[in-house]
Amino acid sequence: MRMMAVFEKSERIRHIGHLDIQRSVQRGLRRSGLPVAYSNGFHPHILISFASALSTGAAGKREIMDVTLAEPVTADRFLDAMNRAMPPVLRLLEAHPLADRAPALMTLVRAAVYDLRIDGEEEARRILGAIPAALARRELRAMRKTKTKLEEIDIRPLILGLNIPAAPAAPAAGETPAAPAAWENPADPAAGDPPAAPHLRAVLTLTETTSCKPGMLMEALSREAGLAEVPRFVTTRLALLGEDAAGRLIPLEKAAAES
Amino acid sequence: MNERKVSAPEKIAPEKIAQEKIDQENFERALDRVQKAPRYTGGEMNTSVKPWNKDLLRFGFCFPDTYEVGMSHLGLKLLYGLINREPWSLCERFFMPWTDMIAEMKARRIPLLSMESRHPMKEFDVVGFTLQYEMSYTNILAMLDMGGIPLENRERGEADPIVVAGGPCAFNPEPLAPFIDAFMIGDGEDVLLELNQVIQDRKKTGESRRACLKKLARLPGVYVPDLYAVAYNEDGTVRAVEPMAPEAPARILRRFVTDLDAAYYPEEIPVPYTEVIFDRIMLEIMRGCTRGCRFCQAGMLYRPVRERSLPRLADLAEKLVRSTGYEEISLSSLSSGDYSCLPELIRELMRRLKDKRVSISLPSLRLDSVLKESLEETQQVKKTSLTFAPEAGTQRLRDVINKGVTEADLLEKCRDAFEGGWSSVKLYFMEGLPTETDQDLAGIADLARKVVAEYFGVPKPRRAKGLRVSVSVSTFVPKPFTPFQWEAQDPIPTIQAKQSLLKKLLNMKGVQFNWHEPYLSFLEACFARGDRRLGAVLKRAWEKGCILDGWSETFRFDLWMEAFRECGLDPAFYANRVRPKDEVLPWDHIDSGISKAFLWREREKAARAEVTRDCRQGCNGCGLQKLKGVCAWAGANAAGAAEAGSAETGGDAGAAKGGAEKCE
Repeated sequence: MRMMAVFEKSERIRHIGHLDIQRSVQRGLRRSGLPVAYSNGFHPHILISFASALSTGAAGKREIMDVTLAEPVTADRFLDAMNRAMPPVLRLLEAHPLADRAPALMTLVRAAVYDLRIDGEEEARRILGAIPAALARRELRAMRKTKTKLEEIDIRPLILGLNIPAAPAAPAAGETPAAPAAWENPADPAAGDPPAAPHLRAVLTLTETTSCKPGMLMEALSREAGLAEVPRFVTTRLALLGEDAAGRLIPLEKAAAES
Repeated sequence: MNERKVSAPEKIAPEKIAQEKIDQENFERALDRVQKAPRYTGGEMNTSVKPWNKDLLRFGFCFPDTYEVGMSHLGLKLLYGLINREPWSLCERFFMPWTDMIAEMKARRIPLLSMESRHPMKEFDVVGFTLQYEMSYTNILAMLDMGGIPLENRERGEADPIVVAGGPCAFNPEPLAPFIDAFMIGDGEDVLLELNQVIQDRKKTGESRRACLKKLARLPGVYVPDLYAVAYNEDGTVRAVEPMAPEAPARILRRFVTDLDAAYYPEEIPVPYTEVIFDRIMLEIMRGCTRGCRFCQAGMLYRPVRERSLPRLADLAEKLVRSTGYEEISLSSLSSGDYSCLPELIRELMRRLKDKRVSISLPSLRLDSVLKESLEETQQVKKTSLTFAPEAGTQRLRDVINKGVTEADLLEKCRDAFEGGWSSVKLYFMEGLPTETDQDLAGIADLARKVVAEYFGVPKPRRAKGLRVSVSVSTFVPKPFTPFQWEAQDPIPTIQAKQSLLKKLLNMKGVQFNWHEPYLSFLEACFARGDRRLGAVLKRAWEKGCILDGWSETFRFDLWMEAFRECGLDPAFYANRVRPKDEVLPWDHIDSGISKAFLWREREKAARAEVTRDCRQGCNGCGLQKLKGVCAWAGANAAGAAEAGSAETGGDAGAAKGGAEKCE
């Protein structure tokens, strides 16, 4: 059977890369005593896949993985066994059984919600102030780096939502052309964050073929704000989004359950 | 994320919290700017975060090298578990940061922080360094300095942590004597807790630092260097090391753990997120070695051989697999092939762990004791590479160093391995051994050539593709408490000439030659057999910027030579001089249990290329026989008993003790 699990990669371990997180989860599965399934072949490995790789340096509040088990296990037992086997900084929040025929999670991802905490008061003020002008542009250029090439692309259509939670100086939500549905779902309202380090919240396209990384958004906004370089910022991915039958963005775990 | 704030029961002043928050944020910013930030993040599975409670004895375990090296070290995991198991003490880890992180921390005025709760080093009650390698000594100074602790023991005040050290290099503690408050000599399991208890008691009684150190000096196996004075002869050799306080014994006998089954062993160990050098379960199946290789310090310092029983090991292995999720277990010891029930152990481990998909590897495989049968069993799960350490290229020189390995033996094992599907073999040698000639170096190349021939001797369809014979030749470093402790190391130009010769000789297909510049080995030889005056050189070198000397990218030989010059000391005096029999050695006040007379006898036999039998075949009278209940083989088939033909009868001594019954 397949089990979908929502987990948190906490800020403490945000510098751990995706492959290392993957191996840590695999070892957690081995510690848990759960009946995990192994691949066939010369070097058998645990059957596990992640909806989306999270960059080194980024924390994740609701990351999602898909584990294949050799025999049926209830979601409660799965959650309980795993949380006893995982370090507190890498814990599971929810587990949901997934139909065997459900598509691979990574094919269902449409977007992600990010919290970007900008370092430096002056830089943060200018970047937040530049949002309306940036969004008013028909085109917003940013560099996309892939394994093989570096190219400039237009990220304006990839910005699905952009605002500043809990900050009075923010532009009104109406000024952003975001799909309002995006804001109804993100799980974490990020309340109670220290006001000294202003936050930028963004809903950005994330699919297997096209995506806008937080760094690309920050690059464009920094340019708009007239900053010489992109200020340091800390990324927390708050949620992964899929879509419902009507094409509205909904949390990925719901989209996977509906599919 | 910050566990401490949740669990700390004590009241913290508001300004301190504000300060701490800034420090944590500042630390996070530093992490964004360095390579390999996971070295510093912590939060690994099975790491322990106890409440930061002033009533607990707080031990900062310091590994004076990078995270990847330290987290590969079994001793760290063992002692970490040992201290944290006690309800009255806590242990957190410190590692040496890399240069980029050091620069960030200095610029941000961040002190060295523990991996677990990120507390500064100076807030710990005890700061303990493990001494595995002489060339990590500058890292100790750097870590103390970053930790805000005065470098020299005499400069430390009542509120400063007690700085302790243990491990193999503590057997010659002298070069570090100015910096360490107390050394622990020998097996650490018991003495470490005794030492912690004394320091914990001090928190209640409020006695002075000096009084506490004197109490420590009374513990068996503890050396408090500041209570001893060193006198020198005019030629620079040591005249005497004498105790200056009634609490300080004239000689410090090392500690022995006699029953490994009863000794603590961790059932859960930290599991790093990133891959470290030895990223697997290390199961210490025995401690010590009966072979008596004359160059080998570990073989002398870890005497006598003590085995863990098969049932205990199988139980530990199962628990460790369950608690770590590791995919691999290595059987760890100086000479795993000598474990009395090796085939039975491997079979039992495989039986218990097969469903868990765990592979078993034998790291320091001895040529002459590997059973073909167990080789075949290992590869049933996963093929691991094969390592052999003939150490010398000719039989004569192998006899000199008492490495009881023959060429026929080695080639047979290689043939078996190639036929069993292995295609990669690592061979370890040393150059610069006493009495070595060019002929011995040529022997290394001959051996490599013969190994290659064995591979091609296996019919093509039956052998695995891609032959890789890697020949690593390291430079011999004479070490204290070995029969070669009086020997000179080859001067650097001689080593270089030998290396060029080897490069030429080993230029053959399928063979890869690995070697290192001799400068580091030269300094290692100085500090391994150095006296207390080298403390000044160490400090001077560190002041000049020497740190992370074990890493070629940071090693600065020129600065080290300047440091020696400025301190008026000649490194060749320590490294390249043959020491006479009657010379007082700087470590003579440390008693390893091995007698100096035995070591000298062994040295003389080496000069005659005469071998000494394995202790399991009969006692050779190394000195341990005088200590009651320490060595299981003491006195067996003893001295003078016909050495010839003792292989069979002597074997019984081992069998009786090793116990065929234990193998059931």
